Amino acid sequence: MTAQTTTAGVGIWRCTACGASFFPQRLLCARCHGDAFAPDRVHEAVVEEVSVIRHMLGQTDWQPRRIASVRTSNGLRMTVGLFDDSEPGTAIALFEEGTAPFGRAV
Amino acid sequence: MFANAAIIGVGQSAYLRRPEPTQTAATFIRDAVVAALRDAAIDARDVDGLAAASFSLAPDAAVDLAWKLGLSLRWLIQDTNGGCSAMNMLGHALRAIETGAASAILVVGGDATGLGGYAKVAANFNTVTQLHLAPLGHGGPNGVYALVTSRQMKTYDLAKSDYGQIAIAQRAWAAHNPHAVYRTPMTMGDYLAAPLVADPLSRYDCVPVVAGAQAIVVAHPDRCPRGRAPVRVRAHRASFNHDNQEGDGLATGISTFAGALWEVAGARPGDIDVAAIYDDYPAMVLAQANDLGLVPGNDLQRFARHTIGERRFPLNTWGGMLSAGQPGGPAGGLNGISEAVLQLQHRAGARQVKNARLAVATGYGMTMYRYGGTAAAAVLERME
Repeated sequence: MTAQTTTAGVGIWRCTACGASFFPQRLLCARCHGDAFAPDRVHEAVVEEVSVIRHMLGQTDWQPRRIASVRTSNGLRMTVGLFDDSEPGTAIALFEEGTAPFGRAV
Repeated sequence: MFANAAIIGVGQSAYLRRPEPTQTAATFIRDAVVAALRDAAIDARDVDGLAAASFSLAPDAAVDLAWKLGLSLRWLIQDTNGGCSAMNMLGHALRAIETGAASAILVVGGDATGLGGYAKVAANFNTVTQLHLAPLGHGGPNGVYALVTSRQMKTYDLAKSDYGQIAIAQRAWAAHNPHAVYRTPMTMGDYLAAPLVADPLSRYDCVPVVAGAQAIVVAHPDRCPRGRAPVRVRAHRASFNHDNQEGDGLATGISTFAGALWEVAGARPGDIDVAAIYDDYPAMVLAQANDLGLVPGNDLQRFARHTIGERRFPLNTWGGMLSAGQPGGPAGGLNGISEAVLQLQHRAGARQVKNARLAVATGYGMTMYRYGGTAAAAVLERME
């Protein structure tokens, strides 16, 4: 992966009425159906499952990439790209490239 | 229970891995429509309802399809629920016939994206995929369900070979389906030796993308061709966005309605003679079967090894999409419904399940973020 502009943490959205956090962004809060959210960031997560994407339809020169399902420090589950060989159970720091979440071992 | 509506005919186009440039989703749909109308012995002029779903019909819509098929209608819908579209359209069609909104409805699904086109669909499936998944190189649904499969393996103590039991059993059924794109018998050695696509998924865990279409005809059971049993739907249920993508993906939306489905059907899982479970990935076959109550004690390992591995229960008897091919999710869902109809009408040839009277079929799809968000199921019955 080529490093573009990398920002520490991943942007999430917190319901201003009940405090519930969401990623990806929602229109109404799934808990209280409030319609106002405040931006927030989450910086750490634990890897739960990992996959190596070895084949991509329509591409012949694909280089394998690692993705993971992670549980963030505030309980959200998100899918991230991994910058390293982190395995399930590894604590990782979260980063954003554009709108895409990534992580590497702390 | 739908007393005045039934499935009276089915039809499909050829399924091709590499279609000719002149072949489009619309031409495959036409071929399936012609086959279904012939099968149902219904004249196209008598069709007054159309339900259509396709990932590759755009910029055309269902009404364009009606126009190009020469169908003047009083009932029309287009469904966008992917692997759940077929089952969803079936439910709408049954209710339309019951209420008199239409008298003969064609339910069609088909796609001809090609492999490159499918990759574009996968990378642009919704805004969340565009923003948060595709930039990771997540591999489309293969990457998503690779993570779900890993989670299921940990939760239920499953081995890679347990998924192979499903792929191998379905391949054995496919040997008797002339429309299936893969019919050569598969061994566990073949399955385990296949190259990894997205760990732990290997080639035979991923549906082969094909170009093709399926169609069924829904009408009053009295319009079923003479000498053939119409197929009635005893119960139909659906679920959309059942858990806001906050669960683990191991329970589908079917888990929210399975009890009501069986209650309305007046049947139990053990009464089912043949099942058609939407098989985009073997893990999701196990998840849906479990949600339906087909897996005693939620013992997925025993279900895979004993029930399926030892051929004790007829599951996806046309070979499933894993062997027969997936012409996009919409037509993929029609595969299972059509097979259930053929089995219940005792027209399934060499793969016929003896005396099949009751079937269950499902649809599952729309990978919104971490797993599918749409699910539906029906219990179908042979009318004597």
